[in-house]
Parts: sequence; structure tokens; C-alpha cells
Amino acid sequence: MKRVYGVSLGSSQRDHTAQVMMLGEDIELTRKGTDGDLLAAEAAIREIDGTVDAIGLGGIDVYLYARGERYVVRDGLRLKQAAEKTPAVDGSGIKDTLERDAVRYLAAHTNLLTPSTRVLMVSAVDRFGMAEAFVELGCPVVFGDLIFSAGMPYPITTLDELADIARRILPEMGKLPFTMLYPTGKEQEGQHDSGRFQEYYAAADLIAGDWHYIRKYLPERIDGKWILTNTTTSKDIEELRRRGATHVVTTTPVMGGRSFGTNLIEAMIVALAGKQPEELGHAGYRAWLDKLGLVPRIEDLGGTPA
Amino acid sequence: MSEASKERLFEALDLFRAKINENARLQQMNRDWNRDIAVVAKDLPEVQASIEMREGQMDWRPQAAENPHIVLTAPADVLIGIFRGDSTPTEPYLDGSLTLRGSQEDVLRLDFVSLMIWGE
Repeated sequence: MKRVYGVSLGSSQRDHTAQVMMLGEDIELTRKGTDGDLLAAEAAIREIDGTVDAIGLGGIDVYLYARGERYVVRDGLRLKQAAEKTPAVDGSGIKDTLERDAVRYLAAHTNLLTPSTRVLMVSAVDRFGMAEAFVELGCPVVFGDLIFSAGMPYPITTLDELADIARRILPEMGKLPFTMLYPTGKEQEGQHDSGRFQEYYAAADLIAGDWHYIRKYLPERIDGKWILTNTTTSKDIEELRRRGATHVVTTTPVMGGRSFGTNLIEAMIVALAGKQPEELGHAGYRAWLDKLGLVPRIEDLGGTPA
Repeated sequence: MSEASKERLFEALDLFRAKINENARLQQMNRDWNRDIAVVAKDLPEVQASIEMREGQMDWRPQAAENPHIVLTAPADVLIGIFRGDSTPTEPYLDGSLTLRGSQEDVLRLDFVSLMIWGE
């Protein structure tokens, strides 16, 4: 049996273990949250290093991307480097391909996504492939990177401007403590101000991107809207149903009642392949994703479309 | 020495104001961010300065701020470097030579303003 261990800066309330079979191999997936404690995450990685087949780094990015430029998140790199024997991955090796494919799949196989779908993408530098896919499809997109990470009421509407702002700020912002940039630990359990920035939610048909950012200012009612995100729990799904969302689509598969983060899926591929991430490269990941045949999971919440 | 540092600090604040107020995009981004910021040069205790952000425009005065939302404290040379764009606030913040007291969102916003002006 392959063993994949996920260490996350996220809430320990989302901890879980699941046994899955993938391509004929049994895999044990375990996720351990450290409630935003970077030192605890680093200690957990050092402890597990060398005893499992791959480590997933959750609740944090090691790299952010915009228009082919890669920006380092210092705290993320520190966690990656804490694993000296076992490969540690943050999901960025597959996220670009998987999420780009998810958008194309939804456009081709469902009536949820069309070129006239108005998209609020809460952050794009952590999933530039998805951002490019929306633009390629012709959707009007608001990139909420400044709104959701810095509380600035400034919608970015083009990839060019997103890349320009990223070039100016990310080399320095990536050096700051990650907890300043992204909700971690207990911050992930609560919500900020559900009245703030609601005009951006109201103007969208689809709210896409990181779940914790989506939830940050989520209005009490989102009737007729749908959500495209990464990881959700059954509690999150119920919350969205209660608020009137029509569908929740997750880009990663559901196992044991929950969707797993891209970091765990990437770690699973690394474990199955028995290779270092650098050896796999883009083509290697592409081949494994094709073999796994992952498609987005669409959950109908029963809400009435707008 | 301290008179020269004071002049350099005030010149740097003039430059910072000009850079913010000529940047239409930054004004749009900060249109809701009305804040009073105290600037404290640790090695120039007799010097007072405060920044006022109102609807995207910046002004500054050579006097203390009353009930500031943010307090920026650093040696004069560090503050001058930040306001002139010779250095970013990130490194002095991380090595402890610059302290920022205020809400995390305000602190992040101030860092952002500086990077939008000077970042390349």
C-alpha cells in the first residue's frame, strides 16, 4: 500500500484519513491540519519525512504564477524544504492542467458554463490555468485577488493587469508570513463580514476559486449562483445549499465524502509514479492525469438558476 | 546631523505623496481607505510627522497624528529609504528594524501601496 500524508496550515477540524484504490493500487491518504501554526507544520513534516511515499503541503502555496512568471512564497518553500527524503508537493504541479481541463469540460459537457457566464474568480495567482481558461472561453471575469487578499475594492478585469500587479507586488509579498496573506487555522472556520464586497458576488453567475476566499465575504443569499472550487466538506455544501446556490463543482474527486486538495492528488500521483516531481515534469503529470481520468464533480444543490 | 535627517525625511515624504497622488490606479484602489498614519523616526525623537490618506489622495504634515490607525516606527534612514523607494518595507519589517502597529489589513495595504508605486 502507498502512503500519502498531507500536512496543512488549515484547520485541524478538517482532518481525515481515507483509503482509496487508484489504478489498482491501494493508497492511504491522511490529512493533518496544524491550525495555522507554521512551526507545527514544519515539525510534522520532519517527523513524517522518510516514512511515507509522498507529502502534500496544504493550506499554503509554494509558488504563485502569472503569465509564465513564477513567484516564491517563502513560508511555503520552507515547508517544502523541511522534507529532505520524501517528495513534498503543494499541488501546483497538476493544478494548472487539472483546473484548465475542468473549465473546458464544464463548457463542453454541461450547460452551466457558456461564454456569457459572468465569473467572479476570488483569486487567480494561485490558479492561473483556470483564469486563462475562463478568458479563453470568452467569459467576462473579475479577478478578485486584491479584494480578497488585501481588502481593496479593486476588481481586476484583464489577465494583463493581473500579471502587471503580480509582477510589482508578489516578489515582496511572498516574503511575508503566509498567515498575513491567506486565512489559516481558525480563520478558516469563521467568516469575515458577509455584507462586505457583496456587489462583486451579486454581479456574478459563477463564483470560482479558493474556497476559503469564496467564504470570506460570502453573502447570506447567493440564489441562482454556482460555485467552482477545490476542497469542500459536507458542512460547506450544506451551507451553500442553505444560501441558495444551484450547484457546487469541485475540481478534485470526492473520496470518503469529501473532496481532497490538489496537493494530495499531486502527492498521490508522485507516490504512484515512484518518481520525484522534477522527473515527472509537465508531460508526466499530464499523462498521469489522463490515466486517472479525473473530471469535475458536479453536485446539484437544488437551487433555482438565475 | 539630525536637522539634515529631518530634511531628508520630509523630502522623502514629499516624494511619496507626489508618487501616490499622480497614480490614478492607486487612487482608485484606495478610494475607501481613509487612514491616519503616524511616522515615528526612532532616532529623531523631536521630529513629528503624520500621513493622511483620504479617498485615494495622500497628504502629510510635520506634526503628530491624533489617534492614528497605523504607527510606523523605524530609524530615519529606514523610513527615508521606504518613502523614496530605495527599499521596500518588507525586509525591514521582517528583520525588525521597521515596526508597524495597526490592523493586519491596514499593514498589508500600506505595504501594497509602497509596492505599487515602486515595485518592478
